[in-house]
Amino acid sequence: MKKFLTILLTLIFLLSLVAGMGAAQKGVFATSTITLKLGAWASSPAEKKIVQNQIAAFKKLYPNVDIKLVEIVGDYNQKMQLLMASKTEPDIFYMDSMPAWQYIAKGVLEPLDYWMKKYNVKTIGYESSLLQPFIYKGKVYGLPKDYNTLVLFYNKEMFKQAGLTRPPRTWQELKDYAKKLTTGKVVGLTMNLELARIQPFVYQNGGKVFDGTKPVFTDPKALEGLKFALDLFKEGICKTPKDLGAGWVGDAFADKKAAMTIEGGWMIPFLNERKIPKDSYGIAELPAGPAGKSTMAFTVAYVMSKNSKHKPEAFKLIRFLTGEGGQKFVVEAGLALPSLKSAGVNFAKTYPERKALVDGAKYAQVYFYGLDGTKVVDVFNKAFEDYIIGKKYDLKKNIEERVKQIMK
Amino acid sequence: MRNRTKAQEYLTAFVMLLPYILSFCVFFAYPLVKAFIISFQNFSFLGDAPPNFVGLANYKEALTNKMFLDSILNTLYYSVLVVPTQLIIALILAVVVNDKVKFKEFFRTTYYLPTVTSPVAVSIIFLFLYKTDGLVNQILSHIGITPRNWFNEPSFVMPAIVTVAVWGSVGFYMVTFLSGLSTIPDQLYEAAEVEGAGEFIKLVKITVPLLKPMIFFNTVVSFISTLQMFDLSYIIGGSDGGPMGKAMTMVVMIYRTAFKEFNMGVASAMAFVVFGIIFLLTLIQRKLFGEEMSY
Repeated sequence: MKKFLTILLTLIFLLSLVAGMGAAQKGVFATSTITLKLGAWASSPAEKKIVQNQIAAFKKLYPNVDIKLVEIVGDYNQKMQLLMASKTEPDIFYMDSMPAWQYIAKGVLEPLDYWMKKYNVKTIGYESSLLQPFIYKGKVYGLPKDYNTLVLFYNKEMFKQAGLTRPPRTWQELKDYAKKLTTGKVVGLTMNLELARIQPFVYQNGGKVFDGTKPVFTDPKALEGLKFALDLFKEGICKTPKDLGAGWVGDAFADKKAAMTIEGGWMIPFLNERKIPKDSYGIAELPAGPAGKSTMAFTVAYVMSKNSKHKPEAFKLIRFLTGEGGQKFVVEAGLALPSLKSAGVNFAKTYPERKALVDGAKYAQVYFYGLDGTKVVDVFNKAFEDYIIGKKYDLKKNIEERVKQIMK
Repeated sequence: MRNRTKAQEYLTAFVMLLPYILSFCVFFAYPLVKAFIISFQNFSFLGDAPPNFVGLANYKEALTNKMFLDSILNTLYYSVLVVPTQLIIALILAVVVNDKVKFKEFFRTTYYLPTVTSPVAVSIIFLFLYKTDGLVNQILSHIGITPRNWFNEPSFVMPAIVTVAVWGSVGFYMVTFLSGLSTIPDQLYEAAEVEGAGEFIKLVKITVPLLKPMIFFNTVVSFISTLQMFDLSYIIGGSDGGPMGKAMTMVVMIYRTAFKEFNMGVASAMAFVVFGIIFLLTLIQRKLFGEEMSY
């Protein structure tokens, strides 16, 4: 009997402990200042610092708003879905362009139009292409926090040795340069074999893979563009970082295994970390194709949960983070590009050698393929592999087959 | 008086078991039932819309998904490679470290060590070893084999993962075999020696038949764990299954469908298809090994 009592007491104690923890959490909301939760994925300390600085600056303006940074470690979309299922999601949070429509279509995000009108925020102030993934059926659901574009990084030393004085500006030059720079140990160009890197070639050729609402798979102009890029791999003048035995293109480029690479602005802090001197490499816009210039833009927006209890304050926070006040910190850190056009000008002034990144935003296609994004990317990536590794030469037929299998 | 004690005993037993029963219900039974229900629904974590019943549509979608069907074949291929390799190596190791060698405790520990290492750490280390300029290729280049990118070639990625998996878990099966070996009476070997039997004959005629229950147990456990393979494949191949999808396993496919394609219903249906496959294969193994398994 005594034993039983002891166990019972222990159980009751444990239960009350759990209940107490719940009560303690609720207690926070009971005070007069309100608490907003800001959801972000865990990233580098440098990136976290930006958000922390932004929060501190916001608090100075609105002392009665307390902001709690909820860092989500691990698979962001998985955790976010669980948080939403239990109605404990943050008031505002990061939203990647790729899954944005999935969330919007399920109606879990707050449309911002009403708030934008009320607090005088206009879409025109942002780099135009960046908003596309966050506009659904005419309503705006997110404002971009920052972005990055793809540019051409090239090793100046290797260029000099090959007698090249400037970065390639056309497809033909890109090909010739890559050929010239490919020697026994070094390959001319390295990039990932995936849609996000190959797609610019499609638009440079006047084709498209996404028409604003749905993916397009077999536009002849697009296929021609894809083929041009993929044939660089076939000819052996372009290799994936994996083929070079590198973890990613950054390593391949820093280890001088490749003379050129097509990658985003996040290469710069990485190269700094690897102690690669700033003047040993150049950053240029991607070479233009027959139909002109194109590149990819990768963006993340701040969105608001439909369940937020403090919508006006939450919107003010979004406005601050994506407005002049908050974007200042993005410019200063130089990790990513500010999504606000006016701040972009400042970025180019602060970092003149990185101007190509901002210039690209004018003609960039955002990394986004509608509701079936994951499947669309898969169709193309698998078809690329088939074309290069699997030796199935008919790209069009292959894509069509995969579309039939996966997309329905 | 006696009745009261009995009731008291039951109560005590119940209270003692309560934590387990509770955790079983909360973490196993409830999710299982829920997942089964979800597999017939158009379900989403997002939003307030109540899930609607869609009948067998999720199962139909799962079973017509080429990627999922491929993942079944990939997983079976993986199992067929891993299970026999693993068990044969484990059996040989067990027999060797059972009594024949010096420092057998050292070897036992060494072979068991990978089993307690996190599969994530293991796969990351092997990613380094298998790199184009990694250790494996450097050694192979000495015997005239050109360096390859093992994890990046469609036909090599699965066998490469198999070696990692075998290395990582052979210790576990070695230990179970060791415990089985300790139950075999020494007299049998002595009698065999008197009759003039060599080491190989002893292995085939005594050890293997008497280890049958252990071999059955290990085969089943090994088969089930290979059919549920996730970590190695996910880290090495990612959620799109490595080169040409050749590293995609059934469980990675479930994960991908649920959290990358936001399709909980189909993912749950896939999970039950996987359950069915494992159940069926285990039944078949039971039949193959026969009912009597003791000596």
